Amino acid sequence: MKLLTKTSLNFISASVIFFLLGSVAMYFSVRNIIAEDLQNRLLQQQKDFFYTADQNNLTDLSSKLVFIQITDKEIIHSFSDTVLIVNDSYILYRKLQFSYLKDEQYYNVSILKNQSQSDSLIKKIVIMNVGFAMLFFLIMFFVNRHSIKSALSVFYSTIRKLEDFELSKLQTLTLETAEVQEIKKLNEVFEKMATQIYNDFEAQKEYTENVSHELQTPLAIISSKADELMQADNLSKEQMEQLELLLETTNRLSKINQALIFLTKIDNRFYTQGSSFSLNDLIKEKLQIFETAIQDKNLKLELDLLDITQIYMNPYLAETLIINLIKNAIIHNSNGGLLRIHLSNNILSISNSGSPLSFPEKDIFKRFTRSENSKKNLGIGLSIVQRICELYTFKIAYTYASVHQFKIIFKK
Amino acid sequence: MLKKHNILVVEDELELAKSTISSLSENGFLPFHAKDLNSARKLLKQEKFAAVLLDLGLPDGDGISLIKEIKNTKIEIGLIIVSAKDALEKKVQGLELGADDYLTKPFFFSELNARLKSVIRRLNLEDNQQLTINEITLFPEEMRTLIHGDIVELTGKEFGLLLYFFSNPNRVISKTTLGEFMSSSYADYGFTDDVVYTHIKNLKKKITNSGGDDYIKNVYGVGYKFTVA
Repeated sequence: MKLLTKTSLNFISASVIFFLLGSVAMYFSVRNIIAEDLQNRLLQQQKDFFYTADQNNLTDLSSKLVFIQITDKEIIHSFSDTVLIVNDSYILYRKLQFSYLKDEQYYNVSILKNQSQSDSLIKKIVIMNVGFAMLFFLIMFFVNRHSIKSALSVFYSTIRKLEDFELSKLQTLTLETAEVQEIKKLNEVFEKMATQIYNDFEAQKEYTENVSHELQTPLAIISSKADELMQADNLSKEQMEQLELLLETTNRLSKINQALIFLTKIDNRFYTQGSSFSLNDLIKEKLQIFETAIQDKNLKLELDLLDITQIYMNPYLAETLIINLIKNAIIHNSNGGLLRIHLSNNILSISNSGSPLSFPEKDIFKRFTRSENSKKNLGIGLSIVQRICELYTFKIAYTYASVHQFKIIFKK
Repeated sequence: MLKKHNILVVEDELELAKSTISSLSENGFLPFHAKDLNSARKLLKQEKFAAVLLDLGLPDGDGISLIKEIKNTKIEIGLIIVSAKDALEKKVQGLELGADDYLTKPFFFSELNARLKSVIRRLNLEDNQQLTINEITLFPEEMRTLIHGDIVELTGKEFGLLLYFFSNPNRVISKTTLGEFMSSSYADYGFTDDVVYTHIKNLKKKITNSGGDDYIKNVYGVGYKFTVA
């Protein structure tokens, strides 16, 4: 729910509750006041009656709304409601009953007063009240809404800018200056945080580069010395084998280092500049690289690139993605096996008919996971593939049913 | 005998420089060493070089700045960047500024020899564009091979291997180095020893079948050596 909707809703619900309670209370108090007024008028009429009755004949005083009856005993004066039928319609009256003593004879006098007028008065007052209150709330609602909106405009612009903020674009976060104290504070905190994150990002980038440099150079020295030693004429077979092992291990170490640095770079969103290109062309281009490898292994290549798939990615990452997948399908394939590449409807699947996995299926994308007979591989290629897919929120899945299949669903 | 090419090695790691220099001189080059940008500039004024091996992270600055200086004045000097930084943008930047090649540390000397010779060959077009060792003649540009004057059909891989051996005569080239060499142009496809072995076996067969000597010797099963008397 939007902040504005939330506050508006709060305002409306509170208003409705208070308005209902207020209306009920007002209705009753107005009714009371009017009833009291009616009673006062009846009492006034009683006084008038006493005054005129002393001098006049009682029967003359009897009228449509004044009833006089002879009675034997005195009654207590009292108010009550009564209904008269006038012209076939019921009309509510207020009645004052009292005793009057004249010439030692008690008279029971009832004075009636029409209540319908005061009822209509109450109605009018209530309607007016409701009307004005509604109008008032409506005005308040819009004024409130507008003022919150304008007060929060900077806040919304902050949200938009935070959404667009990307570290790797090497931009600093500059937010609008706000009048509202809290939002000003918020923006300040955000700007500070962004600067901090940016600095950390830069430091980490520098760190990975340094680590790379610092590790590669000593490895280069080891490898160069082993290479140099190998050229000596008087080495035994064992010594040669050990030197070769030294070279191989150093080379491997350097490869692992490079691959890990590459993974870190992907994680740090180092490769973000993208462009749009055809996946079909990329696959065809990269397959050429593996032509000899495919021949060497006598693989049967099935290539179905059904429709042109245009993707938006960092070209280097896209290249790495395709190369690693094809490479994986070749390395782990059996001699004379099947290599199938299928692309349609934004789904790329690459299958190979290598022997079943020697490790749990769920570990396939984990770093340094590799099968027993391919210890020479680094076991990082598929982790890189997965990481690239994650970066672009492409779905990747591995399935095995007589062939190993990797399936990537590219976003449309 | 060919004249010896002067090579300038700009490298601040002393041990690495030492090995590089001894490897280069064994391979028929005349290497000079500069430990930083300043001494490199001095040497460039004093001597005439065929190629420069340039490390990028030097104590007195980024080697990138030297690329422009060299290429602006002496275009014929071959320039190979040798850096621990595998950063793509550095590579692109270096090559855009005029560097002829890029090697990532750690590298193999056989690889360095091959690249160095290739760069020098490309930049000195007036030189004879053919390489001859005894009865074998290679035309690198056309990827053509002659043995005793007859054309021998080699695959791209085999020709690459032979050219690599030509750049490293009488040098033990380990299986790892050969695997790396064969992988490097093939997107790091992990070449196994078997694949290296198969390609070398085929190459040997084609040379001997055409009447060439069996130059490629297996060294204790750990590497190969192109032996030229």
